[in-house]
Amino acid sequence: MSLMDSLALGFQLVFHWQSLAALFGGIVVGVFAGAIPGVSATMAVALTLPFTFSLQPIYGILLLLGVYKGGIFGGSIPAILIKTPGTPASSATVLDGYPLAEQGKAGKALGMALYASCTADLISNLALILFAGWLASFALSFGPPEFFTLILFSLTIIAGVSGASLLKGLISACLGLLLATIGLDLVYGTERFVFGEPDLMGGLNFIAVLIGLFALPEIISFVWNPSDGHDKVRSLGQHHATFEEYKRSFKSIVRGSLIGVFLGSIPGIGAAPSAFLSYSEARRNSPRKDNFGKGEIEGVAASEAGNNGVAGATLIPLLALGVPGDVITAIIIGAFMIHGLQPGPMMFIANVDIIYALFLGLLVSSVLLFFVGSVAIRLFRFIADIPRSVLFPGVLVLCVFGVYAVNNSIFDIVVMFVMGWLGYFMLRVRMPAAPFLIAFILGPLLEDNFRQAMLMSGGSFDILFRGPITWFFWSVSVLSLVALVRNEMRERRSRLAQEAA
Amino acid sequence: MKAWKRLLALGALGALLTGPALAQYPERPVTLVIPYGAGGATDISARALAGPLGKLMPKPLLTVNRTGAGGATGSVSVANADPDGYTMLAARVGSHTVNPAMKATLPYTLDDFVFVGVYEINPVVCAVAESSDIQSMDDLIAKAKAEPGSVSFSSSGVGSLLHLAGAMVLNSFGVENPLETATHIPLKGGGEAATAVLAGTATFICTNSSALASFVANEQLRPLLVTTPEPLEGFDAPTASSLGHEELEQLVGWTGIAGPKGLPDEVSATWRDWLSEATADETFVDQMTKRGSVIRLMDPQESQDFINGQYETFRKLVDDLDMRIEG
Repeated sequence: MSLMDSLALGFQLVFHWQSLAALFGGIVVGVFAGAIPGVSATMAVALTLPFTFSLQPIYGILLLLGVYKGGIFGGSIPAILIKTPGTPASSATVLDGYPLAEQGKAGKALGMALYASCTADLISNLALILFAGWLASFALSFGPPEFFTLILFSLTIIAGVSGASLLKGLISACLGLLLATIGLDLVYGTERFVFGEPDLMGGLNFIAVLIGLFALPEIISFVWNPSDGHDKVRSLGQHHATFEEYKRSFKSIVRGSLIGVFLGSIPGIGAAPSAFLSYSEARRNSPRKDNFGKGEIEGVAASEAGNNGVAGATLIPLLALGVPGDVITAIIIGAFMIHGLQPGPMMFIANVDIIYALFLGLLVSSVLLFFVGSVAIRLFRFIADIPRSVLFPGVLVLCVFGVYAVNNSIFDIVVMFVMGWLGYFMLRVRMPAAPFLIAFILGPLLEDNFRQAMLMSGGSFDILFRGPITWFFWSVSVLSLVALVRNEMRERRSRLAQEAA
Repeated sequence: MKAWKRLLALGALGALLTGPALAQYPERPVTLVIPYGAGGATDISARALAGPLGKLMPKPLLTVNRTGAGGATGSVSVANADPDGYTMLAARVGSHTVNPAMKATLPYTLDDFVFVGVYEINPVVCAVAESSDIQSMDDLIAKAKAEPGSVSFSSSGVGSLLHLAGAMVLNSFGVENPLETATHIPLKGGGEAATAVLAGTATFICTNSSALASFVANEQLRPLLVTTPEPLEGFDAPTASSLGHEELEQLVGWTGIAGPKGLPDEVSATWRDWLSEATADETFVDQMTKRGSVIRLMDPQESQDFINGQYETFRKLVDDLDMRIEG
């Protein structure tokens, strides 16, 4: 069967009002669910799954994919407006999105988030369609040693999000690493810092830590000092993202999309590290480096491109190998199986019509996301107009509800409040929260993959240097460390020179 | 969805306060705790069951995920709940036979629960990568014995069914010290464990057939052994008993419903009736069978015996191989 025949078959399946409605409905559900803090894209997909059982396979799967894509974008709305990432993937968006909202430019930030998301989504989908086979075999060559070196390299992000003081960034990262060790040891199953408390055996809930660290300090400092100019009205104003700004950020968007495609096609990494990596790369390469973290529109574009670039690429291992790349695709694989479809190489032969229908549906989804997103931004803009004395109590209620909903656990709410005070303390001493979060996400991955690699090799370090992929990541890690040290030295020298003058 | 159910629950509560007191269980919504994450095998199974179950029950059934520590966090929350039948648990092989057999510090024991019914059995399959030169169990065992350390198996974590299954199969086929001869590589979750075999990180995996079905159908993994008494459709591999290892038939996954110790008999009886009707639901059976499960409802006594039997087998193995996790 030629490509044209397959495409024609796919066309017949997708261009029905039912499949478009499924996709559209999914995106709407996803955007709104993602916009509620605590309701992550994962949860939205899991809750939608039962509704797909009675649908035809293609409608059901398009519905789920719509929720997935909508959810990842939706998470950026509260990240920008109320400093609370709706899903973990949008944590990096907070860094520049919220300062922009503070300056009364929320409309600009939201617009750029949407443009970057849709562009990255499109690039990611095209990568899936064109390079699925090649990327899938690349992804399979990632064993624990390759993962270890990749994550080691990713840890250099910490320097990029530390702000003014690298030392404070490192302290913050160490705190994150420390808290991430709570729970059960991966290899021996023994308890670490559990203190006999069953609630601690599973480790600290990621969403509770995330919301506590980002959203609560803002609220606590408002309660502490309600009059310090906090009540200025922050409207969306007349600020829209201009084409000029899009063009300026375009390089970062493409870079972020490609980072997303690579990290997304490797099972087990997820969207949050990709967003942070894209952000720190954008900062490193930008002429407006100093403005990052203070409300740089390119930072928003890079983060959103990084996390949406993952969304199409996670389907690469799913469709080409039958391997779920993250929790969301693991749920989507369930939907395939309920309908008697088995993702993997055979599906390209047995159900090629469905594969092509999915491809076409995905391309349409990028366009639909753009329209749904534009409407959603208009609806959510009113949040920016609410005075803080009314908004913050509402946000607090939403945070408590969201954190409880993740695991139906009161303990998680306690964790959120404790993290909130820690975050407040860090805010007071000007210690950045982002390194904490990155260490909290990447630390356990680094440890697990290191130990798995050691198990594989029987304790020999040679395995960490096997193959070209590990060497590649070792070299880029060394390169970025050297660049980092050089930068730091140069800055110190110019500061000294200034003082002398 | 949840809010809607809660609203319904509130309404039901209101009706209850005004109407005459009902003595019959349930008077208010029942919570079913799923100790694993959304989208996992237990979650899908329990939510599929909740469909027909919710229609039978006079009051709403709330399914909540309470995850962490390999199912321990959710399980202990039910063990500590009031035994009034309003907090029930979707118990699973990992949380209720493997974990209790392996972990000394687990905050609950099997005695803390009353089982009202095991309703789903998942056959276990052992497989290697299609590219591997291992064609049969004999090849695998020969390789493990010839070069200790050359064979490894992946699992979804310490204390998971996969961890125990790998050791049990090797041991049963005559490998004396399976955990020293072969390397156990724990990963995070069943999906990652299967991928590890595909990518060559580990040599073999023993896990539920549903987790491997699509890999086997796609000729990416080669099945070596199934633990069911009868050959398993879609898996071209000998049964354990045909290779002379009946003892491995104990090695199966399962899902069941349990309540805290002290659950009143009438609650248990009510649940048995609900379960026998719900597990006969065609859509439910169809959904679960497609995922590779066998739907068979055991009555409370049979469930308890089955679980205790599996626990004893696992416990003995754990003691023999010194796999118990202290501290």
